Amino acid sequence: MLKRKILIADDAEINREMLKFIFEEQYDIIEAEDGERAIGILDEKAQEFSMLFLDLIMPGKSGIDVLEHMVSKGYMDFLPVIMITGEATPEVEVKAYELGVSDIIYKPFDPMVVMRRTMNITELFEHRIDIEKKLEERTKELIESRKKLEKSNEFLINALSSVVEFRSMESGDHIKRVRIFTGIILEYVRKFYPEYGLTKEQVALITQASALHDLGKIAISDSILLKPGKLDRDEFEEMKKHTIYGCEILENFKQEENEFYRYCYDICRYHHERYDGKGYPDRLVGEDIPIWAQVVSIVDVYDALVSKRVYKAPYDVNVAVRMIHDGECGVFSDKIMDCFDLAKEELFAITELEFIGDEK
Amino acid sequence: MTTKECYEKIGANYDEAIGRMMKDERILKFAGMFLRDTSFAELKAAMESENYDEAFRMAHTLKGVCQNLSFTALYEPAQEITESLREKTRDVELAKSLLPKVAEEYERTTAGINELLQNI
Repeated sequence: MLKRKILIADDAEINREMLKFIFEEQYDIIEAEDGERAIGILDEKAQEFSMLFLDLIMPGKSGIDVLEHMVSKGYMDFLPVIMITGEATPEVEVKAYELGVSDIIYKPFDPMVVMRRTMNITELFEHRIDIEKKLEERTKELIESRKKLEKSNEFLINALSSVVEFRSMESGDHIKRVRIFTGIILEYVRKFYPEYGLTKEQVALITQASALHDLGKIAISDSILLKPGKLDRDEFEEMKKHTIYGCEILENFKQEENEFYRYCYDICRYHHERYDGKGYPDRLVGEDIPIWAQVVSIVDVYDALVSKRVYKAPYDVNVAVRMIHDGECGVFSDKIMDCFDLAKEELFAITELEFIGDEK
Repeated sequence: MTTKECYEKIGANYDEAIGRMMKDERILKFAGMFLRDTSFAELKAAMESENYDEAFRMAHTLKGVCQNLSFTALYEPAQEITESLREKTRDVELAKSLLPKVAEEYERTTAGINELLQNI
């Protein structure tokens, strides 16, 4: 095995020799008689050294200059440095530690002590570098398995939500559009209304959860769900219960601590609530309605207006926006209306598409 | 003349030095190297040309070497002149007045080492 290398930077030959005799059996010793030369050697082969002994005061570039250079080049991440100095000057010591030296040794030094500390520090560094490497590999694996998991999650959610659509005999694109629109509007909420504290990760989860908003419709009988034309009073009351049925289905798989579960549940239950408290099923008012349910609510209304249904022709996008603004299809907060207006051109463009491919 | 006798003659601390360096021959080797060390000559030159930053560095180096070799008698004035030249608290007159003492101890030390090397 190749001997490992130690670099000694000190302007006094005697001082270098005193370190050299301690280490020359185990290490190859490279010497630099001033800061300038130390920097030159490091730039050429910093990777090869296991330790740098650095004198503080040298002609030309000082020990601190060398450290600053090493920091700027990133050498401190892998090369431990022991500072050698004649006396304790607190401000210089603090500076040296701030720049990342592992230890400071005072002259006159005891060879056995220097040897011990050096072994400890190099072991620590090698161990740390080893751990970092392992961690990096592990992180890579984790990211990959998480990606796989996300893909299969998405697949299952799509499969489940398409069951609902299949039964309602709706075109399969409503749910896809709700998801895309939810993602777009949530992004505006995240950017412009930080008071909701939404993160990018939350936006991604809520967007997925939005696909399940009508899950409860699976429990509505065909005679109501598939009825052409207007529902009568009782039928409409039954239809409204899809919000509750959805939650009942979800409760069978309740995951108390799971964020995603909470979004699915809230969206199923509250996507027909109204900001003025006149929605259903719980007549929640204002910000008691979770922001994710508020977003899915406006998206659901908009898409219902611009889609063709068995009982109605599609509205023009601009007409749909006017109807929402005029409060003909629910009541929304000013913040939600703001985000909807900001997003509407994007929504229009997607509405115009006849076919929606797999979104990225 | 033994290394220990030489150390006593030049006011250096042999016990301390052997405690760290373990072997007499190692001390001898380093003492020999001290004759080649240029920091005192450069300190003197820097004082003469009034380059006090350089003088500080050289005094500092000389002091460090003395510490490592346990040259106590030379270490003391080297330490004092280093402090008098330190930039923040520099006192040039004091440094000038200390230089002869450093020179005196330096001469005594090198003379002692020379004598040792000739009498082995």
